[in-house]
Amino acid sequence: MEKISGGHALMRSLIREGVDTIFGYPGGAIMPVYDALYDYKDKIRHILVRHEQGAAHAAEGYSRTRGKPGVAMATSGPGATNLVTGIADAMCDSIPIVCITGQVPKAILGTDAFQEAPVIGIVTPITKWCFQVTRAEEIPEAVAKAFHIASTGRPGPVLIDITKNAQIELFDYDPQAKYSFSSRLAPKDFKKDLPRAAELLNKAERPYMLIGHGIAISKAEGELKKFMEKSGVPVASTILGLSCISTDHPLYMGMLGMHGNYSTNKLTNRADVILAVGMRFDDRVTGKISEYAKNAKIIHVDIDHAELDKVIKAEIPIHADAKEFLTGILSLIKKRDHGTWIKEFKKLDEEEKKVVNDAELYPKEGEITMAETIRVLSEKTKGKAVIVADVGQHQMIAARYYQFRAPDSYITSGGLGTMGFALPAALGAKVGDPKREVIAIIGDGSFQMTLQELGTIRQEKLAVKIIILNNRFLGMVRQWQELFFENRYSFVHMDNPDFNKITDGYHIPNELVEKREELSAALNRLLKAKGSYLLDVRVKKEENVFPMVPSGASVDEVRIK
Amino acid sequence: MRMRYEIRITSENAPGTLYRIAGTMLRKKINIESLHVQEIDPVRHLSQFTIEIFLEPDLMEKLIKQIQRIVEVTEAKYLAIGENGKA
Repeated sequence: MEKISGGHALMRSLIREGVDTIFGYPGGAIMPVYDALYDYKDKIRHILVRHEQGAAHAAEGYSRTRGKPGVAMATSGPGATNLVTGIADAMCDSIPIVCITGQVPKAILGTDAFQEAPVIGIVTPITKWCFQVTRAEEIPEAVAKAFHIASTGRPGPVLIDITKNAQIELFDYDPQAKYSFSSRLAPKDFKKDLPRAAELLNKAERPYMLIGHGIAISKAEGELKKFMEKSGVPVASTILGLSCISTDHPLYMGMLGMHGNYSTNKLTNRADVILAVGMRFDDRVTGKISEYAKNAKIIHVDIDHAELDKVIKAEIPIHADAKEFLTGILSLIKKRDHGTWIKEFKKLDEEEKKVVNDAELYPKEGEITMAETIRVLSEKTKGKAVIVADVGQHQMIAARYYQFRAPDSYITSGGLGTMGFALPAALGAKVGDPKREVIAIIGDGSFQMTLQELGTIRQEKLAVKIIILNNRFLGMVRQWQELFFENRYSFVHMDNPDFNKITDGYHIPNELVEKREELSAALNRLLKAKGSYLLDVRVKKEENVFPMVPSGASVDEVRIK
Repeated sequence: MRMRYEIRITSENAPGTLYRIAGTMLRKKINIESLHVQEIDPVRHLSQFTIEIFLEPDLMEKLIKQIQRIVEVTEAKYLAIGENGKA
């Protein structure tokens, strides 16, 4: 045993969990921890963000490429409240992050002390678990528990709030101490459901598989491919399931949801059996619930038992991990070919291509389109980059047109829809996997929500590539106002600053791209750059994203124009 | 038709658990009609909550799963105890 401070115990506990990076921002109530961190600079890389929201999103991005919890650290009061959006985002998208906040000393808790905010009270509904540490000796177990909870079952954000006295106090630290936690909600005997599920699938005329983020979380991409190729079942993905299967796979039909593909939405209501794995029937996927998948018997597989029968009543709800389910059912599945059924998809794909895709992917005149920018980027990167998209039209265009060839390649804020997500998440993703090309696709509105993180990218010399698809509008809201609010454009125009001058101020090389003939060469320079590089691409002002399932409409009412 | 339900929850005897349980109800704007909390196992530090609410039957099963998902909760069950729910 040796006597160490709570701050030092925190560092040692984090290192025991394999932490090599902290995204954080210091302040009064977390200073003893930062003082301890000074002694561990060789083991833990601390990345100083420019706003605590950036720390939380960076931790999310890190988690997505590294495959383990990201760590965000902030001081009490405003530092902690600034984390809130990122925590809520991680909760919605099941991303494991561990947040550590400083808190005023225990003796003055609840006295409206300087920079005091009731953080546990604020984050309880948006965390999987949170805990206030008021004594130094609680730290080792709290940290071990935090990592266990964040990363097991359905992953999610956790928060440990540490009062300042607990950071300073000395206690007997046991470096060998072991902690074990039960996984009460772990799936049990799901295998009994497999024969029934397999029989339903084997007998189906028009089976349809829907995949989500759960496939990526359980790293079941290989098992998915095997299952697809044996069963012959066509597959569509939610936005967070993108890149789990290569987009050129013959059984991959496209994306689901409000701005998903034409065939994938429309044929949901033709399917007779739906196998949904690691997805939660979000309202953006289902459209009008009472009309959704009305001809199908549904097999729903999820690691979170509370998701089963939450939105859609399943014929066979299966509480299981995606990988274990796909492994277990494979031998029970008959080898089949659903060529005739798949032709129905291909026919609708042709329609979509004619009415929507061709014109925006290969325009011959007029302004640059978002779609052609993504197409050219996809070609140049051979579909192997990590695309980190913000929220809005550009997010949907990137999801629709980037041709993913590798897993874990589309990172975006799917559930919460957090504008400002991409720039900090991209820097976190780059830290998480420095070998991969990380490209942030951001709208001009979203960029201005967190652009201060250019400072972090510059200071840490992170080779994050940034493409602003700049239409001088809050494009998605404008589209809705055009289609559903009689062109009444209410506060969606943006009189933007000069993004190139701003980026110059951060000493990051950048270009303005206004003409079609400049686009390819500019993208080459962006991809060739050793460090960070930004393109402000001026795209067509009033473009609409189609197909679209209008809000409240059924998936088979998906509009193509 | 809304039913009157009694929910019985066993949990760690820890600060914030009531807040988390109440939060699952607040999200759906469910009012708590009656609440009793008591330590039932001082050795294992377990508490029991007995909560009465009015709720539509199809929502009750969803609510109980949300409560079961809380880390501090070790068991959660419910029982319909009446039909005199207000509309």
